[in-house]
Amino acid sequence: MNPIITAFAKGIKKSGVKPSRISVPSDIPFEPEVVKHLGVDFFHTIRGRAIAFGTGLKLGNPDLIVVPFIGDMMTIGGNHFVHGGRRNMDLLIICVNNFVYREIGGKSAPIQKCEKEQTTTQKFSPYSTFEKPFNATHLANSCGAVYTARWTALHTDELANSIAEALNKRGFSVIEVLLPGPNYYTSIKETDSNLLNFYYKNSVIKNGEAPRFVTITPKEKIIVGKFIDKERPTFIEQYNAQLSKTLGDKFTPHGGKNG
Amino acid sequence: MAEIRFAGYGGQGIIRSGIIVGKGASIFDNKFATMSQAFGPEARGGACSSQLVISENKILYPYVTRPDIFVVMSQEAYEKFEPELKEDGLLLYDSDLVKLKKKREKIKLYPIPATRFAEELGNRIIANVVMLGFFTAVTKLVSKEGMEKAVADSVPPRFKELNLKAFNKGFQHAQDGN
Amino acid sequence: MKANPRNVNTGIYYIDGDVASGQGALAAGCRFIGGYPITPSTEAAEAFAKIAPKAGAVFIQMEDELASIASVIGASCAGVKTMTITSGPGYSLMMETIGFGAMLETPFVILNIQRGGPSTGAPTKTGQADMMQSRWGSHGDYEIIAIAPESPQELFDYTIKAFNLAEKYRCPVMIMADECVGHMTEKVVIPKADEIEIEPRRFYNGPRDKYLPFKPDKDLVPKMVKAGDGYKLYITGHTHDEKGYPILTQNSKVKTQKSTTRRLVDKIKLNADKIIELKEENTDDADVVVVSYGISSRVAVRGIEKAREKGIKVGSLRLVTVWPFPDKKITELAKKVKAFVVPEINYGQVVFDVERCSHGEANVILIPHGGAGVHHPDDILSAIEYASKENKKIEGIIEHKTKLEKLIFEEGYKLKE
Repeated sequence: MNPIITAFAKGIKKSGVKPSRISVPSDIPFEPEVVKHLGVDFFHTIRGRAIAFGTGLKLGNPDLIVVPFIGDMMTIGGNHFVHGGRRNMDLLIICVNNFVYREIGGKSAPIQKCEKEQTTTQKFSPYSTFEKPFNATHLANSCGAVYTARWTALHTDELANSIAEALNKRGFSVIEVLLPGPNYYTSIKETDSNLLNFYYKNSVIKNGEAPRFVTITPKEKIIVGKFIDKERPTFIEQYNAQLSKTLGDKFTPHGGKNG
Repeated sequence: MAEIRFAGYGGQGIIRSGIIVGKGASIFDNKFATMSQAFGPEARGGACSSQLVISENKILYPYVTRPDIFVVMSQEAYEKFEPELKEDGLLLYDSDLVKLKKKREKIKLYPIPATRFAEELGNRIIANVVMLGFFTAVTKLVSKEGMEKAVADSVPPRFKELNLKAFNKGFQHAQDGN
Repeated sequence: MKANPRNVNTGIYYIDGDVASGQGALAAGCRFIGGYPITPSTEAAEAFAKIAPKAGAVFIQMEDELASIASVIGASCAGVKTMTITSGPGYSLMMETIGFGAMLETPFVILNIQRGGPSTGAPTKTGQADMMQSRWGSHGDYEIIAIAPESPQELFDYTIKAFNLAEKYRCPVMIMADECVGHMTEKVVIPKADEIEIEPRRFYNGPRDKYLPFKPDKDLVPKMVKAGDGYKLYITGHTHDEKGYPILTQNSKVKTQKSTTRRLVDKIKLNADKIIELKEENTDDADVVVVSYGISSRVAVRGIEKAREKGIKVGSLRLVTVWPFPDKKITELAKKVKAFVVPEINYGQVVFDVERCSHGEANVILIPHGGAGVHHPDDILSAIEYASKENKKIEGIIEHKTKLEKLIFEEGYKLKE
């Protein structure tokens, strides 16, 4: 997790955003001690609710920059991810894809690679998993995200750049970060850092690649890069526009300039 | 205390009738009035109804079980709800839309061609307000002034005059002894 | 503190309970409602959605109830007063997150317009069968406050009270109304803003580096700050210390687990006398006391009146706040009276606490009701008559069936050999 926090810290610095404006709600697999030193407000929520909680934070105070760190978001929080994108809620999602739910010892995650054989540490699916995983980037794009990127945790600079860029962008942005879970492949029984290297070396940067082509498969190289960067009115912008139109003077736009 | 049921078909302003009388009684006449309505499948079918209890004292039991007054504007609603009307209850009905079946002896009948009157005034949508005028004159449960205020308060300003005209048409019909 | 005039639509209205609650929320200073439509609570959300934007408040229809409640707690952390609106199935979905809110001690209000259950049950009909769920629904130890209004006017008044209690004690407050009250239309008076008392949030204003998010005040309730105020908040649903940090070493974990949950429970229990609101009538010389809440207490009054006309000494104890439960009051009354009569639109929930607190000193008679309707006053009367005549002490809860139930299930269900 630490490489991601490092990149996040770098990204914040580079973006010029005051850390005190940033709120980070996370769901279960992410509760690093180091976050205490970032200068942001941190909310460790419950499984799958980081985006919904973040939606409340943002609407409660539109001045906040809300950056949900999510892990379970494709399963128990899938609906919030989908609707966050549809509304174009102004959130920057850091989607940590560790291919397993690391903290609870190897439950199958729906964004993991499934074709390769797995070790028995995958206790929730001891006979390997056969379900098709999500292509989270493609899903985000289909739901209406305005910014999508994917990096491995070792692409620290690229990741930091993406984070800096997305922190200054309005709308539903999704950055997927590949971070290895423990002993995922039978062929790689080594430590996390070697696995991390494995991902890093097996990746290829293709900025601007169409999200539907960036599915992770064991046979091909992992495609990383910035895929989508477009403009679309955010939820609050649409809300303000619609209500100003119907209510006229009786309505004061929500959130002022940060709406 | 009086228990009243308004019934008809969807779109006749049945629920609104309950609200207007309740408003007249509780806000403008300082009585107590509790209105409840049927929701769900029973509200969507042919027969739609609202129930109103009017009293000088605080109303405790909110539902209508044996109405003293039954105001009905459709045949289906008549057939569905007529049996629950009290033996000596009042039956106010749209005489063009409701054909009475077996007549119960003690029930007092008050017919009015409310929908026809409304059409003559230019819009059948105000048939319920004609009926409310008639209701006010027949039952005397709520004052005429209170009801007029409640009607005026419940419609958009540009329809106020038309609605008051409709109300008075119904009220007058009862005064004329028809 | 007085209400902000911008939020108060002063006037006399003829509206239903749901709408009155939406108005009450705004008057209380609610700035955010995240909700998902569900009968019979929808009208409350609709009312707020209509009036909120004109007063600078936000309503959002979330994707489901899980999202609704999470967004409400999020917005509360951002510093605003919040509420969600739901009924049975939606309420069940919210349970995990309600516990999260209790653990974080974020103030928020839930309006539950109870309907007939279980499952989809009777969406357009009334029920009071979520009372225990409101008390124990989420896992783990925590306490909440629950209020049961009996009329549209009370839905307005007590929605404001619910917000005030949520802010004062930093806990979830449930407005446990029901379909009958929610869908009942009556006169509602919305007073002037300067006649409405509002509890402000307990914001911290000491030195920045001294702030501890979970350090309790004298009344056991800690002070809050807003997200974005530069306090580097670390807030977690894990068992945490006063700094908010999760405790990871084994020894201190045991200690912190105890002190955290103990305070979540004690901040309500020890303040119970200040929180509890009861309406007590004619209990001084009573042989029988009817203990009731919500719509049941309103209906019970007629039964009580009839019983008094017959010369029975019957009093009434209405639980305006159902949780925390008035243990002391029931115990005190149990010593004086022959019996309690408890009408509930369920097959026995709050009656268990009445029995618990009466310590075998008074008979406890439940008038159960399966829902989709309310008790008839005659059912209350007949139970009171029975209670006043029964001179034996009877152990446990005595069921006194309603007339309707006797008619439907004459013999009741019996297991066959």
